[in-house]
Amino acid sequence: MGKYFEEISQNVITAKQDKVKELTQQAIDDGVDPVEIINSGFIPGMNVVGIRFKAGDMFVPEVLMSARAMAAGMDLVKPLLLGREVPSRGKVVLGTVKGDLHDIGKNLVGMMLESAGYTVINLGVDVPATKFLQAVKDSKPDILGMSALLTTTMLGMKDVIELLKEEGVREQVKVIIGGAPISKEFADKIGADGYAPDAGSTTELCHNLIAR
Amino acid sequence: MYSALEGGQLRLFNDSEVNAIHSGVVRLLEEVGMKVKSRQALEIFERSGAVVDPVSEIVKIPQTMLAKAIKTAPSKVIIHGREEKNDAVLEKSRVHFGTGGTVMYALDFKSGERRTTNTQDVRDLARLVDALENIAFYVIHTYPADVAEKDVDVNRFYWALTNTTKPIMGGMYTMQGLREAIKISEMVAGGADKLRERPFVSFITLMVSPLVMDWHYTDFLIEVAKKGLPLAVPSEPLAGATSPVTLAATITTNLAETLAGLTLTQLVNPGTPTLIGTTSSIMDMKTGTYVAGAIESSLINAGIAQMAQHYDLPLYATGGQSDSKVHDAQAGYESAAQAMTLGLSGANWIHDAAGLLECCTTVSYEKTVIDNEILGNVLRVLRGVEVTEDTLAIEVIRKEGPAGNFLANPHTAEHFRSEFFIPKISDRWNRITWKENGSLDAHARAHMMAEKILEIHRATPIDPKTRNEIRRMFPGIRGEDLE
Repeated sequence: MGKYFEEISQNVITAKQDKVKELTQQAIDDGVDPVEIINSGFIPGMNVVGIRFKAGDMFVPEVLMSARAMAAGMDLVKPLLLGREVPSRGKVVLGTVKGDLHDIGKNLVGMMLESAGYTVINLGVDVPATKFLQAVKDSKPDILGMSALLTTTMLGMKDVIELLKEEGVREQVKVIIGGAPISKEFADKIGADGYAPDAGSTTELCHNLIAR
Repeated sequence: MYSALEGGQLRLFNDSEVNAIHSGVVRLLEEVGMKVKSRQALEIFERSGAVVDPVSEIVKIPQTMLAKAIKTAPSKVIIHGREEKNDAVLEKSRVHFGTGGTVMYALDFKSGERRTTNTQDVRDLARLVDALENIAFYVIHTYPADVAEKDVDVNRFYWALTNTTKPIMGGMYTMQGLREAIKISEMVAGGADKLRERPFVSFITLMVSPLVMDWHYTDFLIEVAKKGLPLAVPSEPLAGATSPVTLAATITTNLAETLAGLTLTQLVNPGTPTLIGTTSSIMDMKTGTYVAGAIESSLINAGIAQMAQHYDLPLYATGGQSDSKVHDAQAGYESAAQAMTLGLSGANWIHDAAGLLECCTTVSYEKTVIDNEILGNVLRVLRGVEVTEDTLAIEVIRKEGPAGNFLANPHTAEHFRSEFFIPKISDRWNRITWKENGSLDAHARAHMMAEKILEIHRATPIDPKTRNEIRRMFPGIRGEDLE
């Protein structure tokens, strides 16, 4: 049974999408538990990708290709879970704050988090505080991530945190922020739980916040 | 692994200027002549029909003799590496960068203090060169002051040969040392014929400006040419001191001198693989001394490169240096401006391009690593912009469409490593991450990289039996072999 896992991992690492699909299908046909395929095939592969990315041996586009290869395998596995939860490191809601239409950085964060095994709910751009609140209430994420590129819109992050407090849900969720004008000082000032200077380190930030 | 690229994008002269310089060269050699201090060389020139005055030792080289030498000298010279993948094919405007010197001082890797160089420097700098991908060859650039003068040559070549499989070239100090260096190279190759077949060592002699062939170096030249091993015959006019201040005159003088050397190699042994060469620079008019990092040095080199391509002869050139004493901005900008100019000129064997500071007197481990990064940038420029259906990527643009994003498109993953130069020393993090990483400057980062290489890198070794044999035969070789 275990023979597929190592090979699936390797092909996730090298981003061989077709090979991942083929091996995953074979494993399914052989009766391997779909959850095991995820836990022992996909996730170990993506863990190696994460390590190599951190070491500077793999780069953003390659991480995304590995994630895409994993997603292709995941598409085959998911229908077989029959109500069992997809193993996930955690749930993250992401959005760019109101008045700000920049989304490349935030999307990159989303892709990096997905590739590291998180479930990501992307609210898009120009997201009003009320919409963030609703998502926290409805989806019950572990982490809420907000992005801003403009110094004029970054203050909107504070409004969201204040609204979460008013509605009594601030303690349910860790809030992280990012974007070019954001600093650690700003994050502390507005009462966010965390800040990451770039997309790559967001993954580690989320690991740490969830472990806490 | 180093991959040679085409330079030659920088053209300084139009056709009539090329002709004017060439006719200047011919007039210098025919009318003014070279002062030749080697008895052997005078006899060879005389026997071959040059106009020789034995009293003044002036040799006038007729145009026909020069033309014949240019013809018999190979247009393509392969300077081999001990491993074939490292062979440097020198021809036309194929560019290779490497080290050069020779220097007497190093910035100590631990203390940073300037000290005299030793056999361990020859060994460890060879390993650094072996590991760095943008450095194509190892011109032995340190003088080991920890051994007796008679043992300098054999030590230099031994420590080079055992610690890199890239092509090795070096100047010589004694005739005995030259013979010993050739001997150990033959032993490593597995015989004299094997070495001649794939010579992975080559030698540097030189002309003395203006227009002198010294007895010492000229006798070396004759010895190497007889062996049929590759050699470089550069000269080093200093504009404003040992050649006229004008760059055109300096280029012409340099060409006349190095072509006289080439002529002699071809008279001794027609077909000897020879690199004409230049190590020319200027006399600084404020200090009255030689300077290495001057941009004019690179202009002279670029002009000579264009002429070498005109003659279809491979060129030994000089560039990528700085006169700074420390790893500062001057060290970076002088080295980078020179290396870029030389690369674009299409010179074939550009030495002194890694590790030098302080008017070519001091070598630095960190600077070697920084120069590797500079050369990576230069080589990226030489590679140019590839235009194909695939690189134009119209279909990719169509797929992502207006307001799309290409980061997650497979085309990006497929091409970014070849389209972008990926730096190892440059810091591109934002300030926060840079601070978290210790707020290191380029020098500190280069130190860390060099430290890692020196700790783990070992070149493919030579046969241990041969190594023991060499150590037994030449007890003058000093220092510890790395396992």
